Amino acid sequence: MSATEAVSHGAGRQLMLTRGSQAALFVLAVVLLCRLLGAQFEWLVKWPTALTVPMADWMTWLVGGFLDVFKPIARTFTFLVSYPMEWVGWLLNAVPWPMTVALVTALGWMIGGIRLAALGFFGLMFVVFTGYWSQGMNTLALVAVSVPLALVMGAAIGILAFEYPRMKGAVNALLDVMQTVPTFAYLVPLLVLFGFGPVVGLIASAIYAAPPMARNVLLGLERVDTEIREAAVMSGGTRRQQLFLVELPAATQQIMIGVNQCLMAALSMVIIAAVIGGFDDIGWEVLQTMRKALFGPAFLAGSVVVVFAIIIDRMSAALAEPRQPQNRTVAYGILAVGAAVTIWAVLAGWPPSGVAAMDGLAKRVDEGVGVFTATYGTTLDNIKNTSMFYVLLPLRIGLAEAVLPFTWGFAWTVKHTAMLYGSALLISLILIFKGRVTAAAMVLIIAYIAEIGVAHLAWPVVILGAGAIGWVSGGWKLARLAVILLCLILISGLWERALLSLYLAGAAVFACAVIGGLLGLWSAMSTTAWMILRPICDFLQTIPLFVFLIPVLMFFQIGEFSAFIAICMYAVVPMIRYTRHGLVSTPDDIIEAATASGAGKWQTMFEVRAPFAAPTILLGLNQTILYAFAMLVIAALIGTTELGQSIFLALGQYDVGLGITAGAAMAILALVADRLVQGFAEERRQALGL
Amino acid sequence: MTDKNSTAPAIAVEDLWQVFGENAAPALRDARGAGDDKAIAQALKDKTLIPAVRAANFEVKSGELFVIMGLSGSGKSTMIRCISRLIEPTAGAVRIDGEDILQASDKRLIDLRRHKLGMVFQHFGLFPHMTVADNVAFPLKMQGAGKAERRARAMDVLELVGLEGREDTYPRNLSGGQRQRVGIARSLAVNPDIWFLDEPFSALDPLIRRQLQDEFLNIQATLKKSIVFITHDIQEALKLADRIAIMRDGEIVQIGTPEEIVLHPVDDYVAEFSKDVPKGRHACVESILMDGIPDNMPDDPGIKIGMTLDTALTKCMELYEPVPVRDADGKVIGAVHPHELANALQAEET
Repeated sequence: MSATEAVSHGAGRQLMLTRGSQAALFVLAVVLLCRLLGAQFEWLVKWPTALTVPMADWMTWLVGGFLDVFKPIARTFTFLVSYPMEWVGWLLNAVPWPMTVALVTALGWMIGGIRLAALGFFGLMFVVFTGYWSQGMNTLALVAVSVPLALVMGAAIGILAFEYPRMKGAVNALLDVMQTVPTFAYLVPLLVLFGFGPVVGLIASAIYAAPPMARNVLLGLERVDTEIREAAVMSGGTRRQQLFLVELPAATQQIMIGVNQCLMAALSMVIIAAVIGGFDDIGWEVLQTMRKALFGPAFLAGSVVVVFAIIIDRMSAALAEPRQPQNRTVAYGILAVGAAVTIWAVLAGWPPSGVAAMDGLAKRVDEGVGVFTATYGTTLDNIKNTSMFYVLLPLRIGLAEAVLPFTWGFAWTVKHTAMLYGSALLISLILIFKGRVTAAAMVLIIAYIAEIGVAHLAWPVVILGAGAIGWVSGGWKLARLAVILLCLILISGLWERALLSLYLAGAAVFACAVIGGLLGLWSAMSTTAWMILRPICDFLQTIPLFVFLIPVLMFFQIGEFSAFIAICMYAVVPMIRYTRHGLVSTPDDIIEAATASGAGKWQTMFEVRAPFAAPTILLGLNQTILYAFAMLVIAALIGTTELGQSIFLALGQYDVGLGITAGAAMAILALVADRLVQGFAEERRQALGL
Repeated sequence: MTDKNSTAPAIAVEDLWQVFGENAAPALRDARGAGDDKAIAQALKDKTLIPAVRAANFEVKSGELFVIMGLSGSGKSTMIRCISRLIEPTAGAVRIDGEDILQASDKRLIDLRRHKLGMVFQHFGLFPHMTVADNVAFPLKMQGAGKAERRARAMDVLELVGLEGREDTYPRNLSGGQRQRVGIARSLAVNPDIWFLDEPFSALDPLIRRQLQDEFLNIQATLKKSIVFITHDIQEALKLADRIAIMRDGEIVQIGTPEEIVLHPVDDYVAEFSKDVPKGRHACVESILMDGIPDNMPDDPGIKIGMTLDTALTKCMELYEPVPVRDADGKVIGAVHPHELANALQAEET
């Protein structure tokens, strides 16, 4: 975006400021005001405690009353659902493992031939050998009951939104909220409603897994070709016949994508729900071993989760694609072999819990990690400390506080402050001279953030800054939304924690944008790179959030840096994918035109592909932000001090008010960031006429 | 074409309006005061509403092949969707065998569609999850017909469109021409009286298009349906139609036989369409008969009623006196001047 343009208007020369530079100058003015007057008027920097309202208490009162009303209904539901859950759990545990392995292998064969059969066989055999068979089956029992619930709820919501367009806006808003509210925040009110026990995890996972189903059903129905719809009408079908005989079947492919996402979300949430108290499922196993710093078992249990996730994902994804019918005889053969092995296993007296052949492995992993950390401990610590002291800490509390003789070798004084601002001023003067007002203002604002840190930012800077960005990206309406929502956090008393969330998420998103952007660019330039990165991306997107914590903990122990790494690992994937996709999917005729104009490979990349990919890349950034916030809450488990920690605390203390308020604050941050970026993406898309 | 058909029209469209936009119906009522149809349309446009079909009036006789032709955006697709009530027209009446279907209840409408109406779509509108036979039998399934009956009837119509042997394949395995044959078969499955075709051949290659047009004419010759056929291709319209309605900006500018459209376009817009049409192939000698019959005609090259100008001209290439025109029984009913024949053909070259 060019900063300014001097446009001559017949009558005389007039400096025209773009929207961007107007906003930047406005924010700069706010920064100056807060920085210069902050010392005299403390309320300009720190919102007075007297002016906060006990929102958490109000929530406790309000929601508490509400929950009390619904508690009997919910408890009845708990009672009802606990039966099918127990039955499925009993069934999965009662079936001898060779039979289950054979069934899944045969299913894999029917769905996707030899490839999926092998995946099912080796995957489940791995689970058998880890000795976590019964825990695994308990987890699957939860998924097996929560997924049908989620599918039915999701499909009903999707169909409803499609049939009554007036409800579509409301439904979409609801789905947005359901997906941005952090996972743990769900759990607190659900705990109160449904009581302790595995059923809460089941219901939480059903709620969490319903939105992707609803979205895909709605999308699928909307994408059914008009003529197919009209053909059903002209055939004399009633509305119900049209829907169930034509429109839903025609939308099958999209709906199956919804089923796939629904399964993955349910599994992920079932694992997460272990934090509220497990009942011998695999999530609980991961959590327990992790807490005891038993990395070997944690690693094995985590691998079981990953194996389940991969099997479920690949098999259900294959259902969404057109496929060749497979030979049934092979499936029967597999089942027969399974039955034979079952009889043999029973006669030989193999325990149904499986053969834990991997305890040795767990021990070896433990030892290996021990040796590794002992050998490379200093290197790992160096990496950690360097990043903390020179990057993350200054970003959080500002250079003024982070620069200490102990780490940086000198103490920060007024002289340094003057030097920081002096050089920033110099750069910005040069930029103004070149006519780039926006950049000039940005340099000064960044200098301010560098000096005092994200966690100490004056509240008017954050709120009005978000408002200004909103104004640039989506006009007054978006600006108003951002300001009002952020003000809610401000008066709720959670502001400081929210700033810490903002800092951690912001740092992670920034790192992801740079690394993911570069990796995406690399994958777009070279097919080999994509061949390497693609399975890694697939893998990272398949494993449940929880599992990210295990390797990070192994190497970097508990702390903010580990949280940062875990968030980055999870959130970098969409950035890579979207960047590559955007860069690769430039229309052929445009590339041909560029080539015909004599553009080289890199020229084409930066002059043609990059601008064209901008909206897609922005969408990737948007996804990365949402992913980062989702992981932020999970990362609270390994030691952060931000909102996620509050939510986690609320969970432990059964504090509905705090849980909901902190969850809402987190959702607000994610929502505002989402809308701001989407505004820019939309603007770019329209500019390109897409 | 003169009114030889004394029976009630199969379809009668009366003062039909389709206005898109918010609160279209009241806006149209208000705009009625503005004056003639053009003024009403302008008044609606001023309110940012879109009058996609304006005051349409026409009749389709029983067994007639009525073609609606116009450029894209002229409202022809909207028109056929109004007549079949796939969209709700803003005002007017559509009578099918005398019954105003715009007033019909949902139940009655479903009933009509199950028994009386058939429709073919531009992009075929085949159900991707059903086999060819299931696609064709779908309207019968809606009627509640049994499985065996559905299958038998599906086989019959598939044979009619030349697709026997493909009944158990899926639409995705068929070529464009074959898919449209399935579309045609499906629309004929319930043996409807009224047949709507919305640009059925536009998405096909020229060669396949001509082949299907010929087969379509054959089918129509045996089945004698009352047809509304939409196209943007003047050649297709002239080849198929009994009568043609030409639309522009939602308005029907001319209704006439192919010959009338070619020889007597009402305005430049219509003339522009028929500019490249070889008139000699579509116009008949009747259209250029002289006033009265001269007493003395030395030559008689055997010109007959119904003969195209092309054929007539080849018969009197060397002649320059009026020649007699005879009917089927050989009785002289008029005369034509060879000079006029040549003139009529030349007019197109301008």
